[in-house]
Amino acid sequence: MTLWRYEWTLLLRARVAVAGLALLAVLTCASLVSGVQRMDSQRAAIERIPALQQTDLAAVIDGHGDSTDAGHAAYYTFHPTWNAPAPLAFAAVGMRDVAPYILRVRALGLEAQIHDGDTFNPELALAGRFDFAFLLTFLLPVFVIVLFHDLRSTEAESGRERMLRALPHPLPRIYARRAVVRGVALLACVVPLFVGFALHQGVSAGLIAAVVGLTIAYTVFWIALALLVARRSWSSSTNAAALITVWATIALVLPALSHVAIERTIRVDQGAEIARAQREAVNHAWDIPREITMQRFYAHYPEWQDSPPLGDGFHYKWYLAFHQNGDDSVADRAAAYRDGIERRSDAAARLGWALPPVGMQAVLTRWAGTDMRAHLAYQDRIRAYHGRLRHFYYGYLFRDVPFTADDYPRAPDFAPDHR
Amino acid sequence: MSVVVAVMRNELRAMARTRTAVAGIVLLAMLATVATVVSLHHMADAADYRERQQAAAQADFDAQPDRHPHRVVHYGHFVYRLPSALAAFDAGVDPFTGSSMFLEGHRQNTANFGDVMQGSVLTRFGQLTPAFVLQILAPLVLIFLGHGVLAQERERGTLRQLMLQGARLRDIVAGKLAALSVAATIFMLPAFAGLAIMAARPGASVTVAVVLMLAYAAYLGIWCVLIIALSTLAGRRRDALLGLVGIWAVMALLVPRLATDAAYAAFPLPDRLQTDVGIAADLRAIGDSHDPDDPYFADFRRGVLERYGVDRIEDLPVNYRGLVAVEGERLTSGLFDTYAARSAAIQDRQNTRVALFGALSPAIPLRQLSMAAAATDLSAHLRFLAQAEAHRYAMVQQLNQLQADAVDYADDTARDADADRRKRVDSAHWQAIPEFAFVPEPAGRLLQTMLPAAAVLLGWLLVAALLLALATRRLGAAR
Repeated sequence: MTLWRYEWTLLLRARVAVAGLALLAVLTCASLVSGVQRMDSQRAAIERIPALQQTDLAAVIDGHGDSTDAGHAAYYTFHPTWNAPAPLAFAAVGMRDVAPYILRVRALGLEAQIHDGDTFNPELALAGRFDFAFLLTFLLPVFVIVLFHDLRSTEAESGRERMLRALPHPLPRIYARRAVVRGVALLACVVPLFVGFALHQGVSAGLIAAVVGLTIAYTVFWIALALLVARRSWSSSTNAAALITVWATIALVLPALSHVAIERTIRVDQGAEIARAQREAVNHAWDIPREITMQRFYAHYPEWQDSPPLGDGFHYKWYLAFHQNGDDSVADRAAAYRDGIERRSDAAARLGWALPPVGMQAVLTRWAGTDMRAHLAYQDRIRAYHGRLRHFYYGYLFRDVPFTADDYPRAPDFAPDHR
Repeated sequence: MSVVVAVMRNELRAMARTRTAVAGIVLLAMLATVATVVSLHHMADAADYRERQQAAAQADFDAQPDRHPHRVVHYGHFVYRLPSALAAFDAGVDPFTGSSMFLEGHRQNTANFGDVMQGSVLTRFGQLTPAFVLQILAPLVLIFLGHGVLAQERERGTLRQLMLQGARLRDIVAGKLAALSVAATIFMLPAFAGLAIMAARPGASVTVAVVLMLAYAAYLGIWCVLIIALSTLAGRRRDALLGLVGIWAVMALLVPRLATDAAYAAFPLPDRLQTDVGIAADLRAIGDSHDPDDPYFADFRRGVLERYGVDRIEDLPVNYRGLVAVEGERLTSGLFDTYAARSAAIQDRQNTRVALFGALSPAIPLRQLSMAAAATDLSAHLRFLAQAEAHRYAMVQQLNQLQADAVDYADDTARDADADRRKRVDSAHWQAIPEFAFVPEPAGRLLQTMLPAAAVLLGWLLVAALLLALATRRLGAAR
């Protein structure tokens, strides 16, 4: 027991080590605060939705006047959808600083709406966020390298190793003890702070334990690497150089190279092409006999085919039908586009098995619900909701049911799927 | 002078003899080459693709049949931004902003489909461009090569021997610095060769490219000087290495992100929902063109009737609906512009705040300068948005005017079965609408925007040089 205490004393007596550990704790705290602030601002934006929506809807209802045309309501009413951050999102901001997390949709063609982005400053997005995931992935290894690169070599360099060898305690055990002490010191600067913030944010105990486990595993990986290098009995500076090289290679160089490789091998139709094809299909409807449009629509949605025939005048059911036909005409391409993006992000996640920093980001953003898959899931929810919205308006339009001011609140609400 | 050259030659020979040093130099030079080739290829692909898409979009637009002009307003148009001449050197915000935009009446859309929304988490690990290699990786390799050049001499006590032979400390330090600079030059060559190819293309400015090269040379120069200074100050190689890696991690990775957070916290940006609802509310405050009793549009109608000296809308020589469309678009666009300008001003303030952090890291001014030179920064993107908006407005107003002039009011309001045919206008009209062509910022203006960042970089170079002079003097005194 006393030996352990000596080892701690030894570590805490080194001014550089203590300063380093203090810096790590400060940075950890800063990264957690930054993530929480970011998510708080997103939650505040989501909380603003009802009030803003109220204002907008009141004006739409007001504009409706005495008309009983559901088409007017379908055309002018925007319905909000949102993607609330999961409790753990503060730890890994992921895509949430570039992907829209609030999107209003109308019952018109969805393909023209679903890819709209929110306003963000691209230069800030380019630099990336200083979140907990960044701290773990990129900075923690540097601290491990600083503390572990001379675990053994410093004894050899100072000539103490021969003396230690002469002692009755086996040398490997001394080094093992030292490694454990330093590893625990590092984790002590990171883990309790994270657990505190996570509890405060209401993250489930299981998920907290999982992140802590992941943090420990990732730290152990870097410590093991450092110990592996230490076995070569190089000088301290050679050890440090070798470790930093490995770090830069697997955290910066290989991910950048793999990114190029993935983009090249998994081809994805550009989204703008699909949007254009949809626009073409929608506008074409103005130039063809309206019956053709209706037949095409009824073929997909037979439940409405008993609707009375179109008269000479404009009818919104025709308008909404050709918007739907436009979406349906690119449905396959839109699905392929979505799958392509998913395959790209899955490929990147698989790469995480080979490159721990990539894996760390992939797993953390997955758990935090801030990765590409979470964004695609949000888009899927928007699609499902859009389907319900259309169905709601069709019920009035295709049956010629009058739509009054009282009917506006009957529109289905978006159901955010909380993880 | 000969001492400097001798020390430099000696140092280079030592590097050439160390396997790890040679490996480091070769690897980074290779990486710079790969990044240059890949990036050139990627941008050529992107340019080709966007050009084809733009042509296809234009062909679709022109191929529209005879239509009511307002249909064309809603048909809209897609515009694409071609990559700038130097975009392959520094992709900047390109992967985040997207390069296509849909233009339509009554609406101001965002550019979308950026790479970051069509890719994986890896986009965020850094794009493999020459700029990334030189900004982030090159300093790290220079640290490996240079951290020991003086610390080692001190550790082994060889410095004293050198000086006993009559070499001045200043010359020794200068020689070592020169040797490290040779390595830095090797790193820059592939990227600069690529840059030269890009600069030779039409539309590129050679002056901008040269200034960009000088800025990168200054940046790596700052690192070389800092490395030698730290190596001179540190008693041991290991301390020099750890100190330098720490400085690198802070300057290259940490400070840019801290700056981002600070800028974000200081100047929050209104989100799209707030903006859209705000615009809609402002519009309603102005008036409702569909409401016959609306005061604003009642005034407008009175003005129109007066101007033409008639009493009834039906007697106007032009289609009143078209005039209302023109007026409505003028009002909405005015609001779009106001809100867009507000958002741009906030983003600009955010970037100015980031620039302040240039005092903590030379990577920040370099990055801002590099993106500005490559025309891949926020202001280039906003320029695209502004020009696209101007194009949208001109196109929509031309079509609205066409509705006023070429569609008969009686036909426009008719609801009989044949009315739809009578409202249509010859398709030759939209083929006459001028095509969108993005005009990049002139080189002179670019150079002007690059100036502040260049000044900060020079300041850094000066401070680093001062540090080195101090370190050299201290070493001289300690000897």
